[in-house]
Amino acid sequence: MSIVGVGHRRLEGAEKVSGATRFTDDVDLPGLLHVQLVLSHQASANIRGIDLDAARSAPGVIDIVTGADLPSVNAPSPEKPLAVGRVFYVGQPVVAVIAESQSAAADAAALVDVDYEPLSITVDPVLAMRDGAGRVLDADEEADAADASMHGAGTDSETNGATPRRPANVSSVVNLKRGDTDAALKSADAVVKATYSLAGVHHSPMEPHVSMVRPEPDGGMTVWAPTQGPFHVRDEVAKVLGIPTYKVRVVPMAVGGGFGGKVTLLETLLVLLARRTGRALRLNLTRQQVFAVARSAPAASFDIELGAKRDGTLVALRARFHYDNGATAGWHGGITGMFLTGTYQCPNFEITGYEVSTNKTPVEAYRAPGAPQAYFALESALDELALQLKMDPIELRLRNATREGDPGPDGKPLPRIAMIECLEEAQKHPLYTKPCVEGEGVGIALGSWGGARTPASAGCRVEPDGTLTVHVGTVDVSGSSTGLAMIAAESFGVPLDKVRIETSDTGVAPFGPLAAGSQVTYSMGGAVQEAALEARRQLLEIATNELEAAPEDLEIVDGRVTVRGVPGRFVEVTKLVAMSTEFMGKYRPIQATGRSAVQAASPMFTVHIARVRTDAETGEFQLTGYAAIQDVGRAINPPEAMGQIHGGVVQGLGRAFGEQLAYNVDGQLRTSSFLDYELPTADQLPDIDVKLIEVASAVGPLGAKGVGEPPAVPGPAAISNALARATGIRVRDLPLDRSAFVRR
Amino acid sequence: MKPAQFEYDDPQTEDEALDLLARHGDDCKVIAGGQSLVPLMNFRLARPARLIDINRIDSLSYIRREEGRLVIGAMARHTHLEHAEEVAQGWPLLTEAVGWVGHAQIRNRGTIGGSVAHADPAAELPAAFAALDAKFQLRSKRGSRTVSWDEFFVSEFTTALAPDELVAAVEVPALDPGTGTAFVEYARRHGDFALGGAAAIVKLGRDGRCERATIALLSAGPAPVRAKAAEQQLRGAKLDDSSIRAASAEAVRGLRPTSDLHGSTEYRIGLLRTMTERALTKAAQRAASSTS
Ligand SMILES: Cc1cc2nc3c(=O)[nH]c(=O)nc-3n(C[C@H](O)[C@H](O)[C@H](O)COP(=O)(O)OP(=O)(O)OC[C@H]3O[C@@H](n4cnc5c(N)ncnc54)[C@H](O)[C@@H]3O)c2cc1C
Repeated sequence: MSIVGVGHRRLEGAEKVSGATRFTDDVDLPGLLHVQLVLSHQASANIRGIDLDAARSAPGVIDIVTGADLPSVNAPSPEKPLAVGRVFYVGQPVVAVIAESQSAAADAAALVDVDYEPLSITVDPVLAMRDGAGRVLDADEEADAADASMHGAGTDSETNGATPRRPANVSSVVNLKRGDTDAALKSADAVVKATYSLAGVHHSPMEPHVSMVRPEPDGGMTVWAPTQGPFHVRDEVAKVLGIPTYKVRVVPMAVGGGFGGKVTLLETLLVLLARRTGRALRLNLTRQQVFAVARSAPAASFDIELGAKRDGTLVALRARFHYDNGATAGWHGGITGMFLTGTYQCPNFEITGYEVSTNKTPVEAYRAPGAPQAYFALESALDELALQLKMDPIELRLRNATREGDPGPDGKPLPRIAMIECLEEAQKHPLYTKPCVEGEGVGIALGSWGGARTPASAGCRVEPDGTLTVHVGTVDVSGSSTGLAMIAAESFGVPLDKVRIETSDTGVAPFGPLAAGSQVTYSMGGAVQEAALEARRQLLEIATNELEAAPEDLEIVDGRVTVRGVPGRFVEVTKLVAMSTEFMGKYRPIQATGRSAVQAASPMFTVHIARVRTDAETGEFQLTGYAAIQDVGRAINPPEAMGQIHGGVVQGLGRAFGEQLAYNVDGQLRTSSFLDYELPTADQLPDIDVKLIEVASAVGPLGAKGVGEPPAVPGPAAISNALARATGIRVRDLPLDRSAFVRR
Repeated sequence: MKPAQFEYDDPQTEDEALDLLARHGDDCKVIAGGQSLVPLMNFRLARPARLIDINRIDSLSYIRREEGRLVIGAMARHTHLEHAEEVAQGWPLLTEAVGWVGHAQIRNRGTIGGSVAHADPAAELPAAFAALDAKFQLRSKRGSRTVSWDEFFVSEFTTALAPDELVAAVEVPALDPGTGTAFVEYARRHGDFALGGAAAIVKLGRDGRCERATIALLSAGPAPVRAKAAEQQLRGAKLDDSSIRAASAEAVRGLRPTSDLHGSTEYRIGLLRTMTERALTKAAQRAASSTS
């Protein structure tokens, strides 16, 4: 039976498009109370006092809680569930109002009066690094390395050389150095020296952040949340409540868009509030609150010097960059440094990356964290270099491409990668080869993602009607469950419609990884495959007995186990299941477990081609064609892989078209609704031609690699490179300022 | 978010509505399509104590010709205007302009009266009405009055409407034969408010020269802007690239559109100039083809 590799509709697609899916906000509980947050409107201030009198007497109010009322939580000050004494950014939760209805809570929250004593505000990361700049965080609130590795791109490459003195408000510095960059740049035939920057952007999930909790009679807690990481939530909640892990049950709900922004956010606060009131609570953020409270992707700026020989061979890269992390210590720099140094062969480099804190909402992982930033700078600089050298931009990249055995981004030898296949495919793509019409330009850019992996397990049960239930603890944010069902169906030998992937709560689900880092199919595929094969083995074991035939002579066809080549010798699967589940049955139930721990990453590469035309008077540009070529190892469900790529392309291009978190000097977000925060729309996009390359991974399940993150990476550089070629104007800042392209 | 609490009335007749407005005046807001008011209330930027819902007043919902003029009732929806045959025939500028308002769902609810009363400087219809020299019928318990568009639009989101007054209708004079009109604007995404836009009306004489030109700009200042000096400059001129370019440069002289995230003042001035050029060129072509 061939299921894997053939396109299948998403199992939950119909319910999603018809609006039937039950999201967290659609679920009710008896006696449920509602929480509304009062957010700081100051970017940096001491809290002198909080007047709750008016709010307390508002109708429907059950409780009002401030930071001082909560038990102390081990977290950096800006990340306490509610502010204690001080606020560090606009949008920081200060007070929680609990009331009988959502509107009562909102009305009462509006009556809370917080008295702030404003402190000096640090908004601009460059100014933040100057001597004497006001300090954003308390000293020693260091980067959390675990956060970076969670998204599959942690760095363990050595940081050479003496660590320079840390500038003000810099929580950590990335230093990567090889060879003699100074000398190499001096002797280079061509050098690009330029500054590239990207605005901070938001995940913009369709479903705003929401969470619901209920205290349980045994002192435990049940949490319903659209989280990408039920086990992460469980562990965090157990820790903050100081109760054993088994007392926390996290029910994973449908995730209405996550992209890295929906692991944990509100749960710590909610469970503390629920324990205090003893009632079930729900907190759902409004869209404006999502912009203010939910963590976004950091802004970044890169000073690049990239040198090459006349024939295009790279000789040196110097990069000095910083991330604007808001009121937290950041961790993107290490990932970025790896991509800058490990994508192309470059004998000399000197990379310094600063993690800067400012008085803004803390940042978080967003689809390929650190990669869109690194590749916007790197791929723009390479394009400028190609123009200087009068060289084909793909030729330039091919000349310097890494291949199997070369040191990769993490310094270790690369496995078989498909960087060259992607570049070569782009080189012959019609969007690249077709001559440009007057005023049109074509640009390309490359991107990659290292890929995460986490040990995983799955369960498989054969039901009395012969269908399969596959138990997993990892949620589906990308259509991954359909792919897992396909793997199970093919492994066991049933049609796809006989398989259900049951994403269970953490109390019963087999352990599964976070749905992030392009790792779900990659990490879980093997476990599901093993579970389905083991269930099949158990079934055939029973059949062997009943049919008196060797297991290798048996096959499962149309709901029967038959003896191969002997048409009359068969037994119904339902009968075998009955014999292993019914009263007085004689066989042990079919209950299989599969486990996997993929031992190595399978780096993914992609090349995007953009064609644009501009309006010289308005500066507006229109994409006239777009292609994404991506190595996916093996496409388990090809249309789903393409869908992931479509979505990723659009999210990446949003950074170029107009998405930006813009702040004023007071640290107020100027783009806090979709009126001002410009998400890309259909009229801005052409058809996206997706070309899947399948260079099988030696270690991924069925040869698969990750898919979800690479497509969000190269878009901004591809379009900016195309624009530079169409107009002769190079814009190095994202989003792209249309006025820069005006020529009258 | 949800709006703060408010009282709600749903008068069935214009008189009832005017009574309620007379009684509550300053404390209340009329709600028509709700496409501007409800977002403001949900963001809690507006907290009216009382809403007077005029959606059930059928007598305010019409589009008709009266003595050659077009009269549009305040509760006519954008969609209604967009698809009205007599409007496309006689006032194609309005048909063209209204297509730029938001998205279909918004145009299904949004009303002509609401667009006028809301007085967003980036809105299409106020600029189109300015180009067409429209007048607005205002009514209150105290009586009725008719004010011209330039008396009505005072500043951003500010009009000559008194707290107890209702916009009842818009009157648009007929266009002469041989007239061409055009409405153009620039927004980065379809449905966004324009960063700059222009409405132009051109009437050509027998000799092919411009007998009358009208230029109105949106997103150019606190209220719709009529470029009178440029209009004057085109009177009697032959409409070609160079006269249109010169008039468009004149049209934006002295304008200071506000700089914001979406565009600097300089950039917006350039957009307005380009939009004026494009609107005049299109209007002139249409006028020429209607006379030929
Ligand atoms: C996503 C989105 C995009 C939009 N894009 C555009 C756009 O591109 N261009 C554009 O022009 N508009 C746009 N709009 C606004 C839309 O056109 C509004 O419908 C319109 O501006 C107001 O009409 P309304 O009937 O909805 O008025 P309401 O929202 O009901 O009222 C608006 C204001 O007018 C007052 N009012 C309404 N009717 C009367 C009356 N008869 N007499 C006295 N006062 C009255 C109300 O009290 C209120 O102050 C957009 C709206 C949205 C939500």
